[in-house]
Amino acid sequence: MITAKGLHKRYGAKTAVDHLSFEVRPGMVTGFLGPNGAGKSTTMRLMLDLDNGGGETLFDGRRFGTIMHPMREIGAVLESKAFHPTRTARNHLRMLAAGSGIAYHRVDEVLEFVGLTEVKNKKPKNFSLGMAQRLGLAQALLGDPKTLILDEPANGLDPSGIHWLRTVLKSLADQGRTIFVSSHLLSEMALMADQLVVIGRGKMIYNGDVDGFVRDFTQSSVLVRSPQAAQLAELLRRVDGVTVDEVPEDRHAPGADPAAAPAPSPALRVSGIETAAVGELAFQNNVMLHELVTQTASLETAFITATGESEEYVAHDLGPAGSAPGSAPAPAHQAGPPAAPPVPPVQPGGPTAGGAA
Amino acid sequence: MSSALRFEWVRLRTLRSTYWLSGIGVLITAGVAFIIAYATRNDPLDVDITAQVLTGGAEFATFIPVFMSIIGVFSTGHEYRHGTIQPTLTAIPQRSRLLLAKIVIVSLWSVLVVAVSLAVNLGLGLIFWGELPSFDNPLDEVIPGYFLLVVLYAICGLALAQLFRGVPSAIVVLLVTPLLVEGLISGLSLVPALDWLQPALKFLPFSAGGRLLATSPYEANGGPEFDPLSRWESGGVFAAFVALILAVAWYLFKKRDA
Repeated sequence: MITAKGLHKRYGAKTAVDHLSFEVRPGMVTGFLGPNGAGKSTTMRLMLDLDNGGGETLFDGRRFGTIMHPMREIGAVLESKAFHPTRTARNHLRMLAAGSGIAYHRVDEVLEFVGLTEVKNKKPKNFSLGMAQRLGLAQALLGDPKTLILDEPANGLDPSGIHWLRTVLKSLADQGRTIFVSSHLLSEMALMADQLVVIGRGKMIYNGDVDGFVRDFTQSSVLVRSPQAAQLAELLRRVDGVTVDEVPEDRHAPGADPAAAPAPSPALRVSGIETAAVGELAFQNNVMLHELVTQTASLETAFITATGESEEYVAHDLGPAGSAPGSAPAPAHQAGPPAAPPVPPVQPGGPTAGGAA
Repeated sequence: MSSALRFEWVRLRTLRSTYWLSGIGVLITAGVAFIIAYATRNDPLDVDITAQVLTGGAEFATFIPVFMSIIGVFSTGHEYRHGTIQPTLTAIPQRSRLLLAKIVIVSLWSVLVVAVSLAVNLGLGLIFWGELPSFDNPLDEVIPGYFLLVVLYAICGLALAQLFRGVPSAIVVLLVTPLLVEGLISGLSLVPALDWLQPALKFLPFSAGGRLLATSPYEANGGPEFDPLSRWESGGVFAAFVALILAVAWYLFKKRDA
């Protein structure tokens, strides 16, 4: 169990972490989300006494600095390439094992576990980001700790690596360990995390289960398709609190061959009413339905809605077709599902918009 | 503390630079020792020749002190250059214990390298001398002074890299201060209008440290005229300089973010 109480940190006039308090419980994966610059890494550094700030973090009731051999109780990786480029992967772990009273045979075990046995005696200066992440995970698991704190561990992993990481972290959580992991891969977090801590500009936005976060920060809607859509829309609009939008024709059946398939029935997107109530209303008024389905928003949608106001670095979409970037600035993130990412003009080696965390 | 010492010992042993810096230091001083011993093979063996051969000319060319100081720089500077300070502090979060372990291990390594170098140089000298030289005064002070000088250089490098949290700045200060800054001040003191600088010359830290290897009293020989401190007082000046840098670096290490 991790208990963070009133964590705060300032850099001059800027507040990086603003009195965060939360608990990370054992037996589950807790995701740590926030936009770039929200203070996720700083929070993790405060938890591990790497940064000086206010508040305290207790690991099963003890502060990090008072634990005799922290690596045997808390495995942490905050940077993906935190190793000397010419010290072999094996020696890197042996060094940490020596400082933590961990037997050397454990080094080979964790390297085998993360799939780096073949390169254990190689210098890691040529490791890919994915290999570096695996070495970082081996480092975190070296002391067989009860608690893991990982900052963006999926960065640089290929799809099978991400799947493997998810399986590993969920298995470790199932063993009763405490897993606290930050990630920008929201789809991955949706599959992996049981609980969420979401922050923006150093402040707590949400702390609770994933479903609750999606529920709190999005509105589910009902997609209904009927040959009598206009009549149904009229009926629904008479119900208090219900909004009805017609779904454009080209979005009815994505991927369908328009020449081969018959034209689908018109569709409506209805919000403010339960799916069953829509069905009952249609039945009572003899309106035929071809489709009736609840549409739940994704974690990504909820995240963008929740953190949109607290983004530190805001990029801009491309303007109307053909216009130059920046000529028609618009907020990159608005409520609702994001559009497909714009294709930036080709500028090899150019800076990435948005800045770094 | 033992965990921190084991960590540091493995850290030092698993870096290739530790071996090539130590090896080149021993090799170069052995080369200098060979040249001096060969050139003076027909001269009567005196304390000056013995000291110069044993230390590989360290009084005028501080190879091993500089190389050991670079090992000291790497011991702390690499932590920041390569970002290993994060895993290091998650293994050993007690910062004072970690820094103390680095000082102890780097100092012990420096002592070991000096001992090997002295043994190698003695062996080379014996080829030409044919007999063991006398280790009476001042050699009984020069040799401990050599050990002390190298250890202080190594700690100085370690402290500077910890202070600057990186490698390049520390190396620049280590090389520029003794070679340029102290040389400049000594040179300026020769200008009649600036001769008031001469009493301060005995407090120039690296020059004072060099007096630990002195085999005879200071002679101006056209250089600045001043009364240097005794061997151990001069060593104390250098030690105080190193201690001051170390104290500031230590304080900031405890206070700053990792």
